[in-house]
Amino acid sequence: MLNEAWIEPGLNHYLMLSAIIFSLGLLGVLLRKNAIVMLMSIELMLNAVNLTFVAFSKYSGNINGQVMVFFVMTIAAAEAAVGLAIVASIFKRFKEVNIRFFEHLKG
Amino acid sequence: MTTDAFLFWFLALVTFISALGVVVFANPIFSALSLVMTMVTVAALFATLNAFFLAGVQLIVYAGAVMVLFVMVLMLFDLHKEKKAFTQGAFSGSVKLLLGGLLAGLIVGAVSMSKELYKAISDQAVTNSATGIESTKALGQLLFTQYIFSFEVLGILLLVIAIGVVALARSKGGTHVK
Repeated sequence: MLNEAWIEPGLNHYLMLSAIIFSLGLLGVLLRKNAIVMLMSIELMLNAVNLTFVAFSKYSGNINGQVMVFFVMTIAAAEAAVGLAIVASIFKRFKEVNIRFFEHLKG
Repeated sequence: MTTDAFLFWFLALVTFISALGVVVFANPIFSALSLVMTMVTVAALFATLNAFFLAGVQLIVYAGAVMVLFVMVLMLFDLHKEKKAFTQGAFSGSVKLLLGGLLAGLIVGAVSMSKELYKAISDQAVTNSATGIESTKALGQLLFTQYIFSFEVLGILLLVIAIGVVALARSKGGTHVK
């Protein structure tokens, strides 16, 4: 199994690594109760997607994927800012950032 | 084992361990520090893929700005007395773990079974063998010609986000005001 072709990193290796990181981020969103850690897990998933974009961009010789990564990074930063603002307003009200308090957001 | 292979496997291992740390650490500060480590190693992986500009942006924007934001918010809140970091229920928790593992296994299996396709892709990867400053130049030219409209819209979006975040952080909580 561990022959030379398997050890040398190729497109498959990067795709598998980013799939594993994406699944870890998904598990973080599903399993954690702290809203800030859930936001961090979302960042983890976005990073995995960025890695996929860059790997495909390198191995298909098309640089358009790197522009997409640029956009994803900007959106991720904006999403983190908005999420943390919501978390801060939840904390002001309930003194905790547990995800179950978010049901009180309506209205 | 060549230097490239060693670098990739080392970075992959560190990325995996620190990404796992984000999920399993009960203390949110440790999660944040693990996330910084993940960002740095992902930036290094970008550098191994010849995307040097994106590696720098990843370090500045993610490991710099976004993580400082996270750590600042964590420091504002006094969260160290949090006991139950994970959702309750052994059954639903194991179902979630199973589903996450299933997703990872499915994608990894599909990728490893489609070797020929990627070999075909990587065989024609001679059009853009530019390294270092060349790829950065190409990226900038593309961003300011073909994607100029998206770029400007992104600027407007960031302005809206900045105003919205200030409004949200200053609000007194809508109808739940005491």
